[in-house]
Amino acid sequence: MTNPRIDLPQGTLDLLILRTLALGPQHGWAISERVQQVSSEVLRIQQGSLYPALHRLERRGWIRAKWGTSDNNRRAKYYELTRQGQKQLEVEKDSWLKLTAAVARVLESA
Amino acid sequence: MLSDLRFRLRALFQSDAVESELDDELQFHMEKEVEKNKMAGVPEQEAIRRARIAFGGNDQVKEECREARGTSFVETTLQDLRYGFRSMVRNPVFFSIAVLTLALGIGASTAIFSLVNTILLRPLPYPKADRVLMLWRKAPLAIVGSEVFPWNPREVRILLQTANTFQNIGAFKKDSFNLTGVSNPELLEGVRATAGMFTALGVPPTLGRPFSSEDDSPGPELVVILSNRLWQTRFGADRAIIGKAINLNGSAYTVIGVMPATFTFPNTEGIPDVLDLPKETQLWVPLALPMAYPVGGPNELGVIAELKSGVTPSRVQEDLAVFEKRLQEQIPQEKGWTSRAIPLAQQTISDTRRPLLLLLGAVTVVLLIACSNVAGLSLNRSIARRRELTLRGALGARRGRLIRQLLTESLLLSLGGGLLGIGLGEAGIFVAKRFGPETIPHLRETGLDLRVITYAVAVTAITGVLFGLVPALGATRMNLIEALKERSQRSGGSTTAPKIRNTLLMAQMALALVLVIAAGLLVRSFYRMLRSDAGFDATRVITFELPLPSTKYSDTDRMAQVYKEILDHLQSIPGVRSAGIASVVPMGGAPDGTGIRIPEHPRLRDSEAPYANYSFISAGYFSSIGAQLLRGRDVTDADTLQGMPVTIINATMAKKYFPGEDPMGKQVGVGLTRFPARTIIGIVADIKHGSLREEAAPEMFVPYTQNEIRIWPSMQTMQFAVRTQTDPASLAASIERAVHSVDPDLPIAKLATLTMLVSNSMTADRLSMLLVGSFGTLALILASIGMYGVISYSVMQRTSEIGVRMALGAARGEIFIMVIGQAARLAGTGIVIGIIAALASTHLMSHFLYGIGASDPTTFVLVAALLILTALLACYIPARKAMKVEPMLALRYE
Repeated sequence: MTNPRIDLPQGTLDLLILRTLALGPQHGWAISERVQQVSSEVLRIQQGSLYPALHRLERRGWIRAKWGTSDNNRRAKYYELTRQGQKQLEVEKDSWLKLTAAVARVLESA
Repeated sequence: MLSDLRFRLRALFQSDAVESELDDELQFHMEKEVEKNKMAGVPEQEAIRRARIAFGGNDQVKEECREARGTSFVETTLQDLRYGFRSMVRNPVFFSIAVLTLALGIGASTAIFSLVNTILLRPLPYPKADRVLMLWRKAPLAIVGSEVFPWNPREVRILLQTANTFQNIGAFKKDSFNLTGVSNPELLEGVRATAGMFTALGVPPTLGRPFSSEDDSPGPELVVILSNRLWQTRFGADRAIIGKAINLNGSAYTVIGVMPATFTFPNTEGIPDVLDLPKETQLWVPLALPMAYPVGGPNELGVIAELKSGVTPSRVQEDLAVFEKRLQEQIPQEKGWTSRAIPLAQQTISDTRRPLLLLLGAVTVVLLIACSNVAGLSLNRSIARRRELTLRGALGARRGRLIRQLLTESLLLSLGGGLLGIGLGEAGIFVAKRFGPETIPHLRETGLDLRVITYAVAVTAITGVLFGLVPALGATRMNLIEALKERSQRSGGSTTAPKIRNTLLMAQMALALVLVIAAGLLVRSFYRMLRSDAGFDATRVITFELPLPSTKYSDTDRMAQVYKEILDHLQSIPGVRSAGIASVVPMGGAPDGTGIRIPEHPRLRDSEAPYANYSFISAGYFSSIGAQLLRGRDVTDADTLQGMPVTIINATMAKKYFPGEDPMGKQVGVGLTRFPARTIIGIVADIKHGSLREEAAPEMFVPYTQNEIRIWPSMQTMQFAVRTQTDPASLAASIERAVHSVDPDLPIAKLATLTMLVSNSMTADRLSMLLVGSFGTLALILASIGMYGVISYSVMQRTSEIGVRMALGAARGEIFIMVIGQAARLAGTGIVIGIIAALASTHLMSHFLYGIGASDPTTFVLVAALLILTALLACYIPARKAMKVEPMLALRYE
């Protein structure tokens, strides 16, 4: 493959899902598409692995699922961010930025 | 968290809805992805393929989603259980054998253990028992003999004055009381005790009051407390008895209380023989120690003391040291003596601990066999399932999931075995309660011991899991492709598993052998004992004890006279062959002993002083009990104080003190030279006193008509032996009439046939023999089940091999012999190991043996043969099955 992809670092999938949902309710496939597009297809995410993550986030109460109708009139499960999820997104984003900044500083100073 | 809970609950209770939603969701994703691919111009088939690759394993995702939802624990367990039940139904033989093994192992061993536990190890029925100590005097090293000694009154007095770590100190000693005035006179075993004994134990009377401190000082009024049994049997449970007087030893005693049925302290249970106590105390009378003793008084008092709260054992030691110092200041002779304190609970179990340990060992062995049996079965099964497991692994089941599945099945098995085991145990206890002998104390209160059940179930469950899981783990780790490529699991399979299985089987055989040998040794000892030469012939002999009331009979001449009269009356009863008296008849207790002198062999040192039992007998006593006079003549009524002092010695005394000489006509006497030496006129064969187990001690018999020492040994209580022509029990009434025709106030005690007394003396031996015997049988059954399992499994595995052999011309008989040979090799190795183990361990039980060594060759050979036979029987069916294998069918299996 000419386009080497990176495996998703542990724990970042949740952050990506929360960030995607911050733009508005989406169904699973759309979330997966969106993540791939935005990351310019650099990240390699097995589509299937998205779903256990969604169910886990739902259980934690950070996202909420609703059955709705998709564009081609098909029943689809939509996920949206809860208030708690919004807070969580801020927290995770913050710690992510701190982490990457720290790592970057270490790399540059070396 | 609320959302979490709601989420989980929904997942659990609406699992079907949740599942179909998950399906819908994933389906939707796939459709969208395929659609996307098609839009990009990919043909339909390829679009679907690409979508699947991008998505990953569908079932795996679903499983992970279920796990993420957090319902999986309950859900998967239910699933595992369902699966477990299904595989049970599919393999009824495996499961029924395994469950049966577990049930037998758990049920039988716990039932027997619970019985023993309740009978021997029950807590003391005194509320303060754990704070109560039993105190003893300990002799200086120079004095040999008993470990601990009772107290004398003066020591107790000083202890009462000095000790400050105890709040209640009670002293007691046995005494006999002749109860008259209520129907027949009866000799009652009672105890003289201080008020402290009751307060220390903390048991109040059910009626009336306990002794008060006023009762402790000698006073004019005589009071008594009755045991519940005495109150029920002799006084018709009359609640108005308090304050009434009863007649004891010719004096009037006022009844002040009745104790509860559980209270019979002190009794012989667990307390050393050095303190002569009643078997069951029937009444209590104040000890009333005199205020001052010129000398110490006899060492005959038992002492218990209740610890003050917060007192540590080291404080008790200091306290006793202070007491010791005070004691030695007042009584110089006490120098070198010390005191010992033993917790009452510990005191009362020490004696019963030995048989309990034997049984505990037997239970452990049975459980070990059950465990190894289950281990072998689980091993077989998990190996048979390797293919299934690899297949499931290939289809995406994760290892953890498979292991859970196997665990669930193992636990299901243990649960089944445990439940059935509890059922069997309860049934066993029911039978024991229903048909067990009345004489076993507390039998009716026995219940299944929950702790033992839990322990047994846990141990077997762990074994099952361990042996079911380890090979399965290996299976899941296997290279999937290699495993699936294997053409047949029957001909392949692991090479270590059969080794483990065979080892387990050999271990089982070895353990069973050890247990059966133990049982065999006990059985042989028991029959040795029965057939041993006791020195008397118990058939058609009735014995009883006659304690002469001291108020009426205090002079030895008067005693001898009344004995003579009674003997004459007894001999005139039709059906009586002969009658005699002795200080102790066989099974009647221990005789008194004394240091003796043999003028012909003057002793060199004090420590070498010869010692012998010293008993009075009457003419005709030996023929009444069937003792064999080896030489010389019996004593006669003509041997009086005016004639020559004579004695008959037993064979052991002749051998020990007159080695290589003829003792007839020689002289022997008590240690004190102011009493004349006696001339030996006869030698009698050794007579056993306490049990058939005992080794005879030197003993000299003196005619009761020649009691020149007078004060010792006491003739107050003599025992009678009557030999009859017919059933001795039928003469009991005539015997009582004969005694009462001489003096109607004489109490007859312990009237029983000698056969019964002998049988009673063997109760404990019989019980251990029966229990260990039943454990042995159980071990044998379990080992046969194990043998059957291993051999039939191996035959099944080798079906195709056998088919090939037959196709190549092996005769059916050869196949049969091949299978039997395999079994015999396994059994043989197990037996050899077992014999080595037995040789190393049976000496631990030598205390229980009689007349045979711990490595008795006969027992070893017989038991080994029995085990081989059982093993061969167990594999007869699988061997027959192997013989009947159809070569064509077997080969088609390949």
